[in-house]
Amino acid sequence: MRISVQALLLFSVFVVATCGLVYELVAGTLASYLLGDSVTQFSTIIGVYLFSMGIGSYLSRFFNRNLIGWFIQIEVLVALVGGFSSTLLFLLFDRVASFQIVLYLLVSLTGTLVGLEIPLIMRILEDRFEFKELVSKIFTFDYIGALLASVIFPLLLVPHLGLLRTSYFFGLLNAGVALWLCFYFSKEVRWMFFLRTACVVAIGALVTGFVLSDRILAFTESLSYADKIIYSVQSPYQKIVLTKNDREFRLFLNGNLQFSSADEYRYHEALVHPGLNSVPNPKKVLVLGGGDGLAVREVLRYPSVEKVVLVDLDQAVTELFKSHEVLLDLNQRALESAKVQIINTDAFQWLKNNREQFDFVVIDFPDPANYAIGKLYSNTFYKVLHQAIAPGGAAVIQATSPFVAPNSYWCVVNTLTSCGFVTMPYHAHVPSFGDWGFVLASPQKELQVNGQFMAQLRFLDGATFEQMRTFPKDMPARETEINKLNNQALVRYFEDEWAKYLN
Amino acid sequence: MAQQEERRRFLKQSAVALGGLALGGGGYLVSCTPATNQPIPGSLLGPSFKAGHLLRTGLTVVPTQTEEIDVAVIGGGVSGLSAARWLSKHSRARVCLLELEDQTGGNSQSGQNAVSAYPWGAHYLPLPNLANRELLQFLEEARVITGYDAAGLPLYNEYHLCFDPEDRLFINGYWQEGLVPHWSVPQPDLEQIDRFLALMEEMKQAKGADGRFAFDIPLDSSSADAQFRQLDTLTMQEWLHQQNLTSEYLRWYVEYCCLDDFGATLEQTSAWAGIHYFAGRKAQAANSDPHRVLTWPQGNHWLAERLREQTGAEIRTGALVYNLELKEGKVLIDYLNLATNQATRLVANKCILATPQFVRERLVAKISKTAPKPAAQGFSYAPWLVANLTLKKVPNGKGTPLSWDNVIYGSRSLGYVYAQQQSVQAFPEKQVITFYYPLPDTTPAARQAVFTRKREEWTELVLQELEKAHPGIRREVEQADLWVWGHGMIRPTPGFIWGQERQKAAAPLDGKIVFAHSDLSGISIFEEAFYQGIKAAQQLLPV
Ligand SMILES: Cc1cc2nc3c(=O)[nH]c(=O)nc-3n(C[C@H](O)[C@H](O)[C@H](O)COP(=O)(O)OP(=O)(O)OC[C@H]3O[C@@H](n4cnc5c(N)ncnc54)[C@H](O)[C@@H]3O)c2cc1C
Repeated sequence: MRISVQALLLFSVFVVATCGLVYELVAGTLASYLLGDSVTQFSTIIGVYLFSMGIGSYLSRFFNRNLIGWFIQIEVLVALVGGFSSTLLFLLFDRVASFQIVLYLLVSLTGTLVGLEIPLIMRILEDRFEFKELVSKIFTFDYIGALLASVIFPLLLVPHLGLLRTSYFFGLLNAGVALWLCFYFSKEVRWMFFLRTACVVAIGALVTGFVLSDRILAFTESLSYADKIIYSVQSPYQKIVLTKNDREFRLFLNGNLQFSSADEYRYHEALVHPGLNSVPNPKKVLVLGGGDGLAVREVLRYPSVEKVVLVDLDQAVTELFKSHEVLLDLNQRALESAKVQIINTDAFQWLKNNREQFDFVVIDFPDPANYAIGKLYSNTFYKVLHQAIAPGGAAVIQATSPFVAPNSYWCVVNTLTSCGFVTMPYHAHVPSFGDWGFVLASPQKELQVNGQFMAQLRFLDGATFEQMRTFPKDMPARETEINKLNNQALVRYFEDEWAKYLN
Repeated sequence: MAQQEERRRFLKQSAVALGGLALGGGGYLVSCTPATNQPIPGSLLGPSFKAGHLLRTGLTVVPTQTEEIDVAVIGGGVSGLSAARWLSKHSRARVCLLELEDQTGGNSQSGQNAVSAYPWGAHYLPLPNLANRELLQFLEEARVITGYDAAGLPLYNEYHLCFDPEDRLFINGYWQEGLVPHWSVPQPDLEQIDRFLALMEEMKQAKGADGRFAFDIPLDSSSADAQFRQLDTLTMQEWLHQQNLTSEYLRWYVEYCCLDDFGATLEQTSAWAGIHYFAGRKAQAANSDPHRVLTWPQGNHWLAERLREQTGAEIRTGALVYNLELKEGKVLIDYLNLATNQATRLVANKCILATPQFVRERLVAKISKTAPKPAAQGFSYAPWLVANLTLKKVPNGKGTPLSWDNVIYGSRSLGYVYAQQQSVQAFPEKQVITFYYPLPDTTPAARQAVFTRKREEWTELVLQELEKAHPGIRREVEQADLWVWGHGMIRPTPGFIWGQERQKAAAPLDGKIVFAHSDLSGISIFEEAFYQGIKAAQQLLPV
């Protein structure tokens, strides 16, 4: 059965209208999420899109012959531009300087092409309908399509298909319309072979994009960052990303925030000073993890310190913090100090083979979010640590949030105690992290923290530290399992507690 | 701030949705990409072929060189090393141990490359029972046990207790934690599995009329009560049937266990032995759950090396013993140095023969004046393929991350063990996995195939099994080394463990030659080999 040409073309109007609106929504969503400030972004994107449609409508007057052929070509172009633009934007987001220009160029291009569609269809149909009926029918289908798009976009498409696949999917619909028309008008249109090939190639490209979009997504890390990315590199161990906004720099390792320049001093002062302040005349300090040099910066404030050994797995991190201007300002060139020796290797293996003793050890490892890192919080590790501390010395361990993850925090404390350490738990408020926990541990003596802190510290003083040692009623000490290599109790606690907190 | 969070969450969600849908596409892609059948470098190894050939054809050289010795131990596997160790602890005898391979260890052999050491055979020791004093003592000397707590429970060296996560099973598209199937397993099957495990728990505690545990290790300490021993006349398959345990998931799991310990299917395994796998072990530890295993990158070769260090015997490797005689109250042992082709005769007062049964049959034929039987009666062996693969990275999957033991549901292979599990290093550059594949098919054609298959064919077989859980894994494999064990381990077929053959084989010859090998237990595990060695040494003492 042959469907009437009119019905077919009207259906095309419907599809084309839905696609057109979806592209507009995709662009608006992308812009507001990638650039922030959704009201401004959405409104400017819609403005530019509608204006471009106007340009398209104006340009339609220059198409005079072979209208169906032109229409098919425009459909193919819409399919390709609409289908690929969101992928392109994702990929370019953290790689080009003037992302906005690219964004608005793509939006205008899509808008212009979409703007051409309806006028052309109207002219194709002008001989087949009475003018009154034509206008009524076309706009009815146009607006139904728009309604459909705006309803399914937030309810179905984004949650189930995601942005990239939505674009490809509607690109395919456009290309499908084009191909359908090719077959319908195979006798009436010139260059048929060329048109069909173009349709098929476009469909092939879009299907490939659709299928590959998860891999594409892997490249578009920009998804996880709120701010502008100013540095991004994949080392053999992790993805290192530095972002910037008006107020602060932030460092992310594998998507996890390591510090914000706005409040890292709180974290690093709390990490280093209570312990180091109470070791008499510290000479040799070991820093494990902490390749950013921020803990080292604090350590170097002590004139008695003669040698700092920094062991961090990732050379890419220590190199970054020795070379990037902004970061050199932040760590006050701590890693360039003649007192500092940097060793890029696995901390557990290094410590196991180490025979030297240190007056103070700072342990600033990533959170125990996986089994690989969990080993660095095990009783076996702490027994090795025990040997590396000189008489009268101490160690401090960053130990995740005692508020969000109390079992995890107290598991670190209890594990240290089980290895013969005398521990002093304390916590500090670091706005970018929340309530953060530390454990001071000493191999032999009762810990005596010296309440006299250096005057130049911005956060810590004797009174503050007294408060930091108090755990309020809603976060008391608790019994936990001991974290061992053969039970990885901490990783299990940590996964459990943070998963609950984030959901 | 809150807005940013919200924004990030939204994007994460849509990204996740995308990822989820992409899975289908991903699978599709994999199946579309042409299999890159680029040859993977590696080698095909096995027990000394030359030695096996020489033994079968028979050597007739009469050595010109002779040496005198107190005791000769033939075979440097766990049982031979254990015997030699016991002798040096309890006598001043001069002991010489002869091993045909270039290193001692036997089935507890290992290899090494730039990435890691790895096992070629035995790879773990479950925590021993508290009653197994000799074994605990050895582990103490090897500093695997570092002390005992107030309750008398052993404290294990935590570098040797298997690191967490210990095991995972790929089932219904997901890596579940633990090997007992539960992920997406229907309720009736789960109930059967529970019932089975409860039965095994009962058997663990069960004691016979003689007051002994029904199932113990070494198995000679088990109760003689007929109520339990008669289980040896059934197959594990029959027993499961009798108990109305018919779940396919359960069946798979129990068969996996039989293949793991015995290289035998449910139909080939005696029910007594099958139950022993679950009920024989009743360990307790001060600092570990009782089900943990002890393991090392090089597997049980680590233990074999500790035994060797404690032997005090002179060890000669590359030494093939081809002839045994009794003459004027002495044992004459003829061996060929495989490197120099030089034959030597040891004149010993006594001798411990710690070789598999099929070798022993040939060696003692002259003395016991019996024709060597083509296949030692009752003694049946499972061939094994072991593959060590060096990978850029073991591909991630859904669920539990890479564990020590990684098993694939429905596969006839035993999955793979991660050789670097006991490394403290957080992010190794490359990874080595050891893949185990028992070959229980006893048809002549299947046995023939074991010896004729080419390296490429074995490699392909390994990759196909692994791809069931890790599509595309072959792209990660940089090196594939294989080892084929023609006679991997003794199979406890019905009637063997408590039958006549095993007992007869254990009897000393003329009070001069005693026997030690895990074959004599009918179950091939470290504990039995260790025990057989001690038992043989004790039979000889005093020397
Ligand atoms: C693939 C595989 C995996 C295994 N996994 C485990 C495991 O995880 N845990 C476990 O407990 N057990 C395991 N086993 C069982 C293992 O066999 C025992 O644990 C143990 O190593 C057996 O020691 P044995 O001394 O009894 O025998 P063998 O290891 O067979 O020792 C016999 C020795 O005698 C030598 N020999 C033979 N003939 C001669 C001759 N004519 N002259 C000189 N020397 C000779 C051989 O070369 C060999 O070294 C496994 C076995 C295999 C094959």
